[in-house]
Amino acid sequence: MFTRFEHFAASSLMGSEESPPRKNGQLSFQRSWEQVAFAIAIALSKKGHYEWEEFRQNLISTIGEWESDHDLADPTWNYYQRWYTVLEKLVLETGLVDKSELDEKLINLLSCEHLHDDSTES
Amino acid sequence: MSIPGDEQFTYSPNRELESAAKVRALEALLIEKGVIGSETVNKVLEYFESQMGPFNGAKLVAKAWVDPAFKELLIQDCNEACNSIGMTTGMSGAEGEHMRVAENTPSVHNLIICTLCSCYPWPTLGLPPYWYKDPTFRARAAREPRKVLQEFGLNLDNSINIRVWDSSGQIRWWVLPERPAGTEHMSEEELAALVTPESMMGVAKVALP
Repeated sequence: MFTRFEHFAASSLMGSEESPPRKNGQLSFQRSWEQVAFAIAIALSKKGHYEWEEFRQNLISTIGEWESDHDLADPTWNYYQRWYTVLEKLVLETGLVDKSELDEKLINLLSCEHLHDDSTES
Repeated sequence: MSIPGDEQFTYSPNRELESAAKVRALEALLIEKGVIGSETVNKVLEYFESQMGPFNGAKLVAKAWVDPAFKELLIQDCNEACNSIGMTTGMSGAEGEHMRVAENTPSVHNLIICTLCSCYPWPTLGLPPYWYKDPTFRARAAREPRKVLQEFGLNLDNSINIRVWDSSGQIRWWVLPERPAGTEHMSEEELAALVTPESMMGVAKVALP
C-alpha cells in the first residue's frame, strides 16, 4: 500500500542496479537536467501514458546494454543519461511526441542559445 | 565549447550540454502539447524534497530528546506518537504496519536490518542507502554486528551490548539514537538537523557538525 504514486515509483527502483543515486536519505542529482528528466518520467507514468514497470524494465535493460559495452569503471557513466534514453524511447513509442518535432525543438533551442551566446559576448 | 567559471561543465562538456538540451527540448515540447503543465516538474521534485527524506524521523528523534513524555510514547507506541504530532500513518511510513523504535542508551546500541524484503520505513528514514539491501550486509550484520559497525567507522566498547532488529512486513524497526553531549542549548529544530538516516539505522551515532 502506497499513499502516493511518487512513493511507489521511487521505492520500486530501490535495491538493485536500477536504483537512482542517493545521499543522506534523499535522491542525489548532479545536474538540474537530471532532476527534470526524473520528474518527467514519473509524471508521465502517473498520468497513465505508460506503466511504471515498463519504464523500470526498460531502464534495467538500457543499463545492462551500457554495462556490456563499457568497462564498469568507465568514468563517463551517468545514471540519468540512461534514464533519459528510456524516457525518450517511451515518449516516442507511446506517440506523445514524434521524433521530427523533438529534433526540431532541439535545433531551435540550440540555435536560440547560439544567438543568446553571441549577444552576451558582444 | 566550455563555459568558464561554471564547474559543472568542466567534465565532458559536450555530452553534458547535449543531455541538458535534450531534456529541456522534451520538457518544452510536452508543455506545449499540454501533456504536462509548466509546474509539473517542480511539483514532482517538491514531493521528493519535502516527503521522501529523513525529515520525519529526524523530527521524531529531536522531539523525543526534548520531551520525555513524547519519548515514552514513541517507544511504547510509535504509530500513536506519530499521530499525536499530526503525522499521518502514510507520512510516517507505517501504512498499517507497526513501526517500533529501539532506543540507544549508554549500555545498549541498536542496529536495524531487514533480511526478507523492503521493510524500510521510507517516509521516516528517507531512501535507503545502496548497501542496505545487500545480502552480505544483512547476513553479516546479523552474525557479527560489532565488526560490521567497525567497518562503518563506529567502534563500540566491548561493554556495550549490540542488539540487531530484523524488520518484517509486520514490524518496521528504527533506532532512536542518543542525544550527543554539548547540545543542551540547541532548539528542537537545530537538533533535528543533526539526525541522519544512518543514525536512525544504527550504523552511526549522531555527531555535532
